[in-house]
Amino acid sequence: MAASIREKQTAALKRMLNFNTPPLKNTTAEPVWKVLIYDRFGQDIISPLLSVKELRDMGITLHLLLHSDRDPIPDVPAIYFVMPTEENIDRICQDLRNQLYESYYLNFISAISRSKLEDIASAALGANAVNQVTKVFDQYLNFITLEDDMFVLCNQNKEQISYHAINKPDIMDTDMEVIMDTIVDSLFCYFVTLGAVPIIRCPRGNAAEMVAVKLDKKLRENLRDARNSLFTGDTMGAGQFSFQRPLFVLADRNLDLATPLHHTWTYQALIHDVLDFHLNRVTLEESLGSETGARPKKKTKKSYDLTAADGFWQKHKGSPFPEVAESVQEELDKYRAQEDEVKRLKSIMGLEGEDEGAISMLSDNTAKLTSAVSSLPELLEKKRLIDLHTNVATAVLDHIKSRKLDVYFEYEEKLMSKSTLDKSLLDIISDPDAGTPEDKMRLFLIFYITAQQPPSEGDLEQYKKALTDAGCDLSPLNYIKQWKAFTKMAAAPASYGNSGVKPMGLFSRVMNTGSQFVMEGVKNLVLKQHNLPVTRILDNLMDMKSNPETDDYRYFDPKMLRGSESSIPRNKNPFQEAIVFVVGGGNYIEYQNLVDYTKAKQGKRVMYGCSELFSAAQFIKQLSQLGQK
Amino acid sequence: MNTRRRHGPRGSQEGVYTGPSQTQSQLVPPLEAPLAVSLVPPVDTSTMSCRDRTSEFQSVCKSLQGRQNGEQAIKSVPSVVKQRSDFTLMAKRIGRDLSNTFAKLEKLTILAKRKSLFDDKAVEIDELTYIVKQDINSLNKQIAELQHLVRSRNSHTSRHLHTHSNTIVVSLQSKLASMSSDFKSVLEVRTENLKQQRSRQEQFSQSPASAPSFHSGLSNSVLMQDDSNKADVSIDMDLRSSHQMQLINEKDSFIEDRANTMQNIESTIVELGSIFQQLAHMVKEQEETVQRIDANVEDTQLNVDLAHTEILKYFQSVSNNRWLLIKIFLILIIFFFVFVVFMA
Repeated sequence: MAASIREKQTAALKRMLNFNTPPLKNTTAEPVWKVLIYDRFGQDIISPLLSVKELRDMGITLHLLLHSDRDPIPDVPAIYFVMPTEENIDRICQDLRNQLYESYYLNFISAISRSKLEDIASAALGANAVNQVTKVFDQYLNFITLEDDMFVLCNQNKEQISYHAINKPDIMDTDMEVIMDTIVDSLFCYFVTLGAVPIIRCPRGNAAEMVAVKLDKKLRENLRDARNSLFTGDTMGAGQFSFQRPLFVLADRNLDLATPLHHTWTYQALIHDVLDFHLNRVTLEESLGSETGARPKKKTKKSYDLTAADGFWQKHKGSPFPEVAESVQEELDKYRAQEDEVKRLKSIMGLEGEDEGAISMLSDNTAKLTSAVSSLPELLEKKRLIDLHTNVATAVLDHIKSRKLDVYFEYEEKLMSKSTLDKSLLDIISDPDAGTPEDKMRLFLIFYITAQQPPSEGDLEQYKKALTDAGCDLSPLNYIKQWKAFTKMAAAPASYGNSGVKPMGLFSRVMNTGSQFVMEGVKNLVLKQHNLPVTRILDNLMDMKSNPETDDYRYFDPKMLRGSESSIPRNKNPFQEAIVFVVGGGNYIEYQNLVDYTKAKQGKRVMYGCSELFSAAQFIKQLSQLGQK
Repeated sequence: MNTRRRHGPRGSQEGVYTGPSQTQSQLVPPLEAPLAVSLVPPVDTSTMSCRDRTSEFQSVCKSLQGRQNGEQAIKSVPSVVKQRSDFTLMAKRIGRDLSNTFAKLEKLTILAKRKSLFDDKAVEIDELTYIVKQDINSLNKQIAELQHLVRSRNSHTSRHLHTHSNTIVVSLQSKLASMSSDFKSVLEVRTENLKQQRSRQEQFSQSPASAPSFHSGLSNSVLMQDDSNKADVSIDMDLRSSHQMQLINEKDSFIEDRANTMQNIESTIVELGSIFQQLAHMVKEQEETVQRIDANVEDTQLNVDLAHTEILKYFQSVSNNRWLLIKIFLILIIFFFVFVVFMA
């Protein structure tokens, strides 16, 4: 598995856009122009991977939504990339009847069922368009890749498979079946695109186990059917000799509820927590105009893309925030130096133009000018990225300062590592200008979750009063109480490992004059490495360590002929590759933790996936919905 | 035949299609073989992570057709006659010419990179250069014609067709620009190689050029020694002619140097021209630097929200107004009734 999942999915998309033949590398091929039509699912899948410019390079002149008004373009082939739902099929049949395009290449994101295929066939017959439907493909791309090693299931109707939907008390069996089927379908597509059959391990007794059982069954059925299997030849092709199969760990959100509520300090996770961050796109509200009383400020929304091509982002995604601020400053200085050089060149050119007879000088200067001109796009791009990161980091810093997030972070780290607390919880909660009510609720919930014994009734009442004074809603607390009671029956609550947080003094080191990141009063906290529960479980399973937590996990191997119920792993070697999937939702903090873990261990590759990606605010909302029932 | 199961159990309908069912197994193989030959291209599908359902689709169509007694089958052929607009034809032609010129440019690149001293195919390179230059010019003109055609058709076409045509023109232009910048770099490489060759030739041919004069000098001296008495005049003439030869050589080399510098100047001017072209192209390309598919959708949503608020405000004002109007009307009607009662 040398290529990351992002590259594989991008390659699959590009192949699809090239009419499902492998794309040719040379530029001597004749350009063919086509139109791309997608639905919202397809849009979410394509947007993080291919920009409009790349689509243009592949010959796509127009990209349109399926359910919009489309004009006929009679001599162009059209590529459809949609989910095989009823409405989409109806719309496609309508298109066929209206004869909008010359030829149709239908690509379905996940497998289309037989009856829907017959629907399309009858519509095509009715419209005399059978020859126009040139190809029908099942693409098996029903997942969204956000990073090289991170994927999410779906974005459009994520309420259906959210934590709330899975854990609500009045859930019906049929609903659960539907949710499980959706998750298993996407995971199956993921493994088909990855091209490997994993060994599955999951804990007992929760949603993760159901997903594992179904996924095992589906993989097994597909492997059994040798003629139609999607996995033959995949692992042997292109010189990828991975004799080892990857490990697929299914975790359930319920084993660690503190991490989604945790306040964070790394760049990417902060952006996700504090700003509006969706599918690798940040949306900032910038207000123009002064603060005059009567007129409301005009707020414009600016959105920025944080892509793989952005070198600064790739380097600093996981670094603590003060480091990011410093690095932005460094980049800015470097850019200014380069800009000055180009300006100097301009003045030199002006002088040399008067010198006659120095033809060699002229050609040398042309070379310089050529190099300067060709480096201009790079410089402009750099400037744009620096501007982007400056804006984003400033917005994050504003939030940190106004909500005193560093205080919360430090306190929560101490709570989670059970080290001594210097301030009492009550002080922070009743502090009026430290954070929004949501922040206080998060802090309290983490305290409640990580406490060894629940606080006494008197203390609890005190806390509740302080919280309601601060304006918090107490319904998540009900749910957490239930959850805690439930997990106490099952196992001991997960410990969070040792971590230390060293504050580096009240004033940060970033105090250059002219620096935009004046972080007075914000503590410069340094993170020490610690392992979240998910990382620890992964560590145990990958290295086959025996640990009371993970010994009880079930073991599935779809390639074995007969499914065994035992949980004794047949494979005794430690795994080199692993995929962690959290059923019920995940977030960037866990992802960052896994990335750090991978960096510490040489030669191991870990990928992270979750059924939905939520920020702490969204999670609190789901918890309060659950607590109100 | 598979009966259609619209409301059947979901498990059997969704998910992976694991092979044709038993009833169809006899139908599928004889159908698939001729279909496979004619329709499915010989592509190695073993490394692809997708599944081709085209043959299945075709078989379903055939079976449905059979059910409808083949009435429709005859009609299907003539309606599929491809009506291509002249825009598409022209664009296709330009695309083909572009790809041909690219191939020629690649050949030229290979030739120009050769650094051997003696096997220099100067004639071929010059010919190819001339041909490529002509091609680029003609492509430029063709693309300009295409753009003119698109603009003249502006009013008649729908907005999607319009965007489509514009995008095609822009992509053709950008391909041409990249090709001309490649051409320029090939020319640069060629001039570099020429310069190197000249300098090496000069190094090698300096010594042979001086050797004959040496030899002639020696022979002259021998002659002089032999025929010093009789052939003074002829020897003098010989000496002078050798001097003249040297002079002529020097003049030649001087002229050659001049020619070199002229070539340099010309190439430099060409470079500058193309640099300006590049600049203009960059300005044009700013239009679509980094966009995303969903940018438009979000923009329109924002606009729709703003419009919605504006409309609400207007509605508020209008409805407020209406309340007043209604009140006034009521009062008027009451007065009217009072009057009528009093009068009557």
